[in-house]
Formats: sequence, C-alpha cells, structure tokens
Amino acid sequence: MMCNSLIPASFAFALLASAAFSGCSSNNRVAPLAATINENASLSAAESSALPANPLKWRIITSSIDPQSSTMSTLYGNDIAIRYARSNTNHDYPPGSQIALVTWTRRDDPRYFGAKIPDHLKSIEFVSVDELPGETKFTYEKFEGSPLAKTASDESATPSQSAQALLNQRAAVLP
Amino acid sequence: MFRLLFRTVAVFAVLLLAIQFVHPSLPNPPVTADFQALPEVKQILKSSCYNCHSNETKLVWFDYPIPAYWIVRDHVLEARKHINFSEIGRLPAAQQKAALYEGIFQISRGAMPIPAYVAFHPDAKISEQDVTVLENYLVSISPAQKSTPDDAGAAQYEKWIATGNETSHPQAAPNGIAFPSDYKNWKPISSTERFDNNTIRQILGNDIAIKAIAENQINPWPDGATFAKIAWLEQTGPDAVIRPGEFFQVEFMIRDSQKYANTLGWGWARWRGADLKPYGKDANFVDECVGCHRPLDDTNYVFTEPVRGQQ
Repeated sequence: MMCNSLIPASFAFALLASAAFSGCSSNNRVAPLAATINENASLSAAESSALPANPLKWRIITSSIDPQSSTMSTLYGNDIAIRYARSNTNHDYPPGSQIALVTWTRRDDPRYFGAKIPDHLKSIEFVSVDELPGETKFTYEKFEGSPLAKTASDESATPSQSAQALLNQRAAVLP
Repeated sequence: MFRLLFRTVAVFAVLLLAIQFVHPSLPNPPVTADFQALPEVKQILKSSCYNCHSNETKLVWFDYPIPAYWIVRDHVLEARKHINFSEIGRLPAAQQKAALYEGIFQISRGAMPIPAYVAFHPDAKISEQDVTVLENYLVSISPAQKSTPDDAGAAQYEKWIATGNETSHPQAAPNGIAFPSDYKNWKPISSTERFDNNTIRQILGNDIAIKAIAENQINPWPDGATFAKIAWLEQTGPDAVIRPGEFFQVEFMIRDSQKYANTLGWGWARWRGADLKPYGKDANFVDECVGCHRPLDDTNYVFTEPVRGQQ
C-alpha cells in the first residue's frame, strides 16, 4: 500500500522539478541594473553652448586610453576634418577644419566585468584651422572642470605642441 | 464525478509510468583537456558549473524520473555544447578566457547557475566571496599589454586610406541583415576599454538612437534605433597610451520589436576584419548574441550606458 502513495508522490515531485527547470530563469538573486543615461559623462546644452562648438555632434576620428592618468578620450572632427582625416595619411588639415579631443575619467562597467567606460567628463580640447590672408591660423583651446571653463588657449601660424599632438593622431580604420 | 476524476488520475498515472521507459542515455565522455586553474578557482567551478558544463555530470535521484530526466539531459547536452570544462583546454587561450569572462557575466547577473537548478542543488550557489575569487583570477590572467608593434595596424590604415572613402558593400549576415554602410557617419554614444580581450571600442548610434538618448526614451529603445559597436585591437605606444590598432570587427543591434520579437526585439549582425567577413556559419549565430545579452533584461538587453549631448 505504501507504494501506491509513494509513486504518485514521486511523480508529482518530478513534475514540479520539470516545471521549475523549464520555468523562467528570472534574475531575482542580483540587484537590478538601472537603464540610465551616463549623466556624469554627458554634455549639457548649457555647457556646450559656452564652447566653440559641440564636438559630440561630430563624427569620430579616433580614440585613446591613458592608463597612467586613468582617462579615456575620443577625438572628433567636423565634416571638413573628417573628410580629410579619412582620406589622407598626412596631418595638414585644411582651413575650416575643427577637431576636438574629449577626455573622460574612467570607471568599471557595472554591466560587464572586463570593461571600463567613461565616468566624468574631464576636459575638451579644440584645434581650429583658419585661413587668414597670407597665412594659416591654428587655434588651440582647452576647457576643464565642472562646469567646463577655459584653462588654456593659443593662437599662432604654426600649431602649438598641444595642438600638434591632436592633429597628429591617425584616424582609426572604419571599413 | 468521483469516478471520472479517479479515471483521469489513473490514466495520467499509467501514462507517467509508461513514459518512464523512454530513458535516453546521458554518458560522461572521457575528460580530455580539463580546465587548469588555481585550486580555489577550480573548486568553485567544480561545485557550481561542472554538473552540466563538463563530462563529470553526477545526477541525483530526483533527476531520474521522467519527465525531469528529459529536461535535465537536455540541459546538460546544451550546456556542454556551450562550454565544456572537461575539454576547454583544446580551445585557443583567448577563447578560453572569453568563455570564463562570459561565465562571470552570467553569474553576476544571476543567470548562472540557472536559478531553478540552484533551488534543487543549494551547494551550487555561488557566493559573493566566490565571485571575488573568480574576478581576481580573471584579472590575474588579463595583464595590460606592454608596448606593441604597430606594423599590421599601420599597413591596414595605409590600405584603407589608399582606397579612400569608398562605401563597403560586404555580403549580408547569415540571418539576412545587410551591412549598414553608413555606420561610420553615426555619432559616438560611448566607448569601452576591454581589458578581458585587449580591444578598444566605440559605440555609435544612428539618428533614431541619438533622438532616444536626448529624450531619455531608452528602456525600451524605440524601433529603428541602431547601434554599431566597433572594436580595434589595442595598440600600446611607447608613451604607454593605448590607441586603435588593427580594425577587428563591427557589430550591430537593430531595434524592431515586431520583426525581431524572437531575438529579444533586436536584430543582430557582425562583420569581422577589414574585408568585413560576415560572422557566423548560419543564421543560428544569433543564439550567441542572444545568450550573452539575455541577462540584461533590465536595460532592454543593451550593454552601453549612453552619453548624452549629441543634439
């Protein structure tokens, strides 16, 4: 008689187990992720209006990571600069070119162990190339802090060292 | 009434009894290239992963009754196909490491070990302390690259510049998705440094994605939103700064909640190498994409936390 009651009981258990195995694999053991904008790394409309241009509207030339200062940067260019950088191995940007290096501090990616992502927007550096009668003018400007404030600027017929460092960067291959 | 109930139960019981004889085997093939790591790391994998992800599967009594057995068997065979620690030594080192990083990701999101499995096998639970042990181990096998030669990257760059800004029209992905040739003109929304595989990445968004970011409509993302994630091999210069070296791949997520309802509401595609070879043997390659993105149900299956300010 015991068998009669045990067998259905064990079947019921097996069914329960099956249901559990085939059921949803809800991630209830871990803290949920927030589907947020990376606000600290973002550029507000108020801040960008105080800059020579908003580089986040531009396209990418290349990027870099500096482990020593724990920062990551993206080099952007306006249309003239992009057209040049993607089709020339030289670094003589034509007049009208504007490029900008945006630098962020970095942090661990909360969504993936193995990645680091932008944390706070740290600085934006601009280089503009302008044609004046008889000469070319290179303008370098650096903005830092929160809110961003101009901390360096330079204008000359030849690029300053800081400007040249930006102009020299090789475009990343985008086939 | 009672008689009908009794009959139903009886028929059900007989059926259950009958199917007990449909018992396909689940052999443990030989252990040929077992996972090698520190003992404390291996111990965690042995007690939490090996029962499905190895050739050392040990079933317990309640795994045997049908239909539980069918499901358990199915899970084990599927798990071994995905990653088998008894044979992992056969894979190239980079692929072994990638499997371990995916593992820690699945664990960190509570997707692995499968919660229902843990409910029946409490010893398989991975504690926060275990996670730290695994993470420290992964960091120890992922050292930063020293200064690296740039020959291959430079050669690729020269060739790319020489062919100008010609639009690429590679073969479509095996699931039929055509290459979004204009991706390089989309706007950056974030970047990542991947110390797990020494790649440097940029994530670009099309206009619909940029508008969604501006309006903070990103969970779910609107139909049409598309991301391109570009990966280059890291090139570390003498100044210790890491820059994009060789182009490695570009991969896409294309939001269409109806068309791609079966794959988390996103279309997936990836092209590798400067010659843009479509990734995947057949359309089933998307299982890989979906398997890794599925645990991110909180963020509409997106890894990128977008930066705002492009408008």
